[in-house]
Amino acid sequence: MDVYLDYQSAKPVDRRVIDAMLPYLYYKFGNPSSLHQVGDVATEILESSRETISAFVGAQKDEIIFTSGATESNNLAIIGYALRNKNKGNHIVIAEIEHISIHNIAKYLEKNGFVISKIPVDQFGIVKIDKLAERITDKTILISVGYANNEIGTVQDIATIGTFCREKKIALHTDAVAAEGLIPIDVARDKIDLMTLSSNDVYGPRGLGVMYLRNGIRINPLTIGGGQERGLRSGTENIPAIAGMKRAVEIIQKEMPEETERFQRFRDRMIKEVLTSIPRCYLNGHPINRLPNNAHFRFDGIEGESLLLSFKDKNIAVSTGSACSSKTLEPSHTLIALGLLHEEAHGSLEITFGRFNEESDVDTVLDVLPEIVKRLRKLSPLYKEEV
Amino acid sequence: MKSTQYSDKVLEHFKNPRNVGTLEGDDVTVGRVGNPVCGDLMEFYVKVKDDRIEDIKFKTFGCGSAIATASMITELAKGKTIDEATRITRQDVANELDGLPPIKMHCSNLAADALKDALTKYQKKQEQPIAEHRADSTRSKEITGLKHFIDKGVFTEVANYSDFANKRTMVLDKGERSMEIALELTNQTPRVIFVTKSKQLSTGGAADRLKASPVRILYESEILEISGLNTVEKVIIHDLNEDEEYELFVDSVITLD
Repeated sequence: MDVYLDYQSAKPVDRRVIDAMLPYLYYKFGNPSSLHQVGDVATEILESSRETISAFVGAQKDEIIFTSGATESNNLAIIGYALRNKNKGNHIVIAEIEHISIHNIAKYLEKNGFVISKIPVDQFGIVKIDKLAERITDKTILISVGYANNEIGTVQDIATIGTFCREKKIALHTDAVAAEGLIPIDVARDKIDLMTLSSNDVYGPRGLGVMYLRNGIRINPLTIGGGQERGLRSGTENIPAIAGMKRAVEIIQKEMPEETERFQRFRDRMIKEVLTSIPRCYLNGHPINRLPNNAHFRFDGIEGESLLLSFKDKNIAVSTGSACSSKTLEPSHTLIALGLLHEEAHGSLEITFGRFNEESDVDTVLDVLPEIVKRLRKLSPLYKEEV
Repeated sequence: MKSTQYSDKVLEHFKNPRNVGTLEGDDVTVGRVGNPVCGDLMEFYVKVKDDRIEDIKFKTFGCGSAIATASMITELAKGKTIDEATRITRQDVANELDGLPPIKMHCSNLAADALKDALTKYQKKQEQPIAEHRADSTRSKEITGLKHFIDKGVFTEVANYSDFANKRTMVLDKGERSMEIALELTNQTPRVIFVTKSKQLSTGGAADRLKASPVRILYESEILEISGLNTVEKVIIHDLNEDEEYELFVDSVITLD
């Protein structure tokens, strides 16, 4: 039996979403820029999808811009804002635990004359407002803090950060991909100026992202062309995906309360039983302020890729922050930012629940985990049995 | 190629590693190789008789290929002469396993190095049996930034334990009392790190309780530098055994006068 517990990495497209997309791949194939009736059908779904998505996050309809995905939204928000507002200052602040795409965007801007500061987090992954405030200068134009962390699941107090930024007249960008569909987001309440969303993270198709841009905030486009999306993101709109995301958002809006309640039940049981059944095992991230579907552990003396391979052997898909499974062979920068030693960061296991998990998936993991940990610890020179 | 795209043979050795464990006795030599970037650590225990490897065991902390290469080399080395075993290369090990993902060729293919380390140590032992290297633990260096951060995250005395609530706190080894402080701090915060230059802590009293506590002990380590914007945010640790430096995020450092 296959068990998938890596919803943070990728989600299947909901069957109902596929049904909503199909006509737009086939007989409703028009280009919204066309003035004939075929084009009008495309325009209609484009604008109605924009409306649905804006309502989902408390935005105005014209504040939603479609992109090709979360990475592009992050690029457009941060680089687009930086280029447009560089006359006001050249300083940008991000959190140490931001997604790698934000770190690499920051690195790119640094090479191009901007100054980047990184906010350290506490041991649970929380961005503290005093640490943020310390880093502000009169040159600071933009702050980017993720709504929730994609690895450890820690949820930030974005409303407090938003209030702070508004007072200081600094723009706030938040990458909300890990949080969307799992906790309610309201850009007005949270005082967000720019936000990144992705379609796949609400069980929509890949290849579509959204950037929320608050009215009055100015950015430069990065993709120049036919002037679609108010000239901020040119390129013919991906209408089938846009129709899909609309349906995905409608579904998640309706099902979120029941769904997240279920994830939380799985998560809480998983955390409780793993921590009690396995010695020298710890929870990474915040004990309370965490995504309802995220359980993130570390085990003394064992390495994450070995853990992942052992699970793979039992047809269970999980994730790890270990260096050995990454492209760069560096341990997760998020785990290091929590204050963990390399050997601790290596021994991590990330479990993220999603729409198609069942209680029995929790049982399956709890059945095999103790044996796997025991076996790997027996191999390990770093783990000495308690006397 | 994905870093976890392993051959069936690698997976087979990962699942059923040969010669796992340790050996004891005067005739056993231990080889140890670690790669802090990737995080792999390997230990080989080699027993030599009449110039031949009579028995060999290993322990590995690391990824699939680290475990598989270690297992494989024990099979290759067993029964070989010292000279033959020394000539086993990383490539030999990879070949025997039907190849490794390119990214793992350097990082997680340390078995040949670890075995060589053990054999070199064995040969040295034959030449000069008593030469045991000891790190100079009495040497005391000034910690960069220490004075600057006094009362801004660096404390020379603990006035109020609750000040350290939920703070990642590092306590430098200044004997019994510093151990007591580290122990007491575990009531305030889940993260207490005790840094000592010693290879091991003495037995009895606070040291025993410390070892059994959730306090993370960094042996053979010292702080080189403390940094942060206004308050302590990071330290640079020097691992005396491996002679390597790395950064660690902390909120406070306690160093008794």
